[in-house]
Amino acid sequence: MTETSTDFNGFRFLPPSLGAWIKSHIEKRRFEGSIPWTPLPRALNELTFAMVTSAGINHKSDPPFDMEREKQEPLYGDRSYRKISRDTRSADIDVNHLHINTDYIKEDINVILPLERMAELEAEGIIGRLAPTAYSYYGFQLESDEFLTSAILPMAEQMKKEDVEVVLLTPA
Amino acid sequence: MGQAARVLEEKGFTTIVLTPTPEFHYMVGIPRSVGIGYPYGRLLGDAGDSEGQRNVLMATLEALGKTDTPGSVEYLSFVWPEEPKDANWHPPEISPIVKVRLEEIRQARKEQK
Repeated sequence: MTETSTDFNGFRFLPPSLGAWIKSHIEKRRFEGSIPWTPLPRALNELTFAMVTSAGINHKSDPPFDMEREKQEPLYGDRSYRKISRDTRSADIDVNHLHINTDYIKEDINVILPLERMAELEAEGIIGRLAPTAYSYYGFQLESDEFLTSAILPMAEQMKKEDVEVVLLTPA
Repeated sequence: MGQAARVLEEKGFTTIVLTPTPEFHYMVGIPRSVGIGYPYGRLLGDAGDSEGQRNVLMATLEALGKTDTPGSVEYLSFVWPEEPKDANWHPPEISPIVKVRLEEIRQARKEQK
C-alpha cells in the first residue's frame, strides 16, 4: 500500500461530531486482506472507459431512487441502479440522495459524473473511448452483499458487453 | 463504493475511486483511490466550472498509471476555494441515520476531545 501524503484530512468537510463518529468506525491501520487487482492494460488513449457514481442520479424517464423507505428504516438504502446514457445532460436528470445537497448535481451533472468532460477527452484522443452507458446507484449501503449482487454484478455484465476496460467511480 | 470497486476489479476491470474520504480504504481495501479535498457531491469541481472539472479528471486519470501496488492512494493537491462551513454540501434535512444516532454522534465528539 503506498500513499503520496500523510496529512490529508478526509473528514475536513464534515461537522466535527459527525466526523468523529465516522472516524471512530474506521480502524486506522493497513488493510490486511487481499485486494483484487487488474493492471492498467494499455495507454489511456487505447482504452474504453465507463463511469459509476453513487450520487442517486436517474434519468427523468426512469423511476427515482426510493427515499421513503430509508426515512422509515434509517439503515436501509435503495439497492437498485440506473443506467445513464453517455449523452445525458443535466436537464435530463433527477437526483435523490438524503446525505448530500443534490442541487449542484442537478445544475451540472459533471460535478460528480463528468460525461461531457470525458466526451471531450475522447474527442481530443486523450482517452480511447467513453462507453455508451454510465451507471448510478444510491450511496448508502450498509448491507453490501445484496447490493453487490443486485446492482454491481449487472453493471459489470453490461460493461463487458460494451468492451469497457477502465472504470472511474465517484462516491456520494 | 470501495466494495463496488473490488467487485469490478475481480471481474477484470481496472478501477479508480475519486473520493473525499480515502480513509475508508483502511477498512475496505480499495484497489486504487485518489483523494481530493472537495466537498461531498462535487468531487470534480463546482457547477459550471468545466476547466476545473477537466483538471481534476485529468489528474485522476493520470493517477491510474502511477502505481502497480494494490491499495494505493494518490492525493490531489487541488484546494476548494471555500471553508468547509461555507461549502453548503449538506442535505436540507438531517439524514435518517444521523437522526437515529445523534446521541452516539455527540458522544463520539466528547470522546475525541
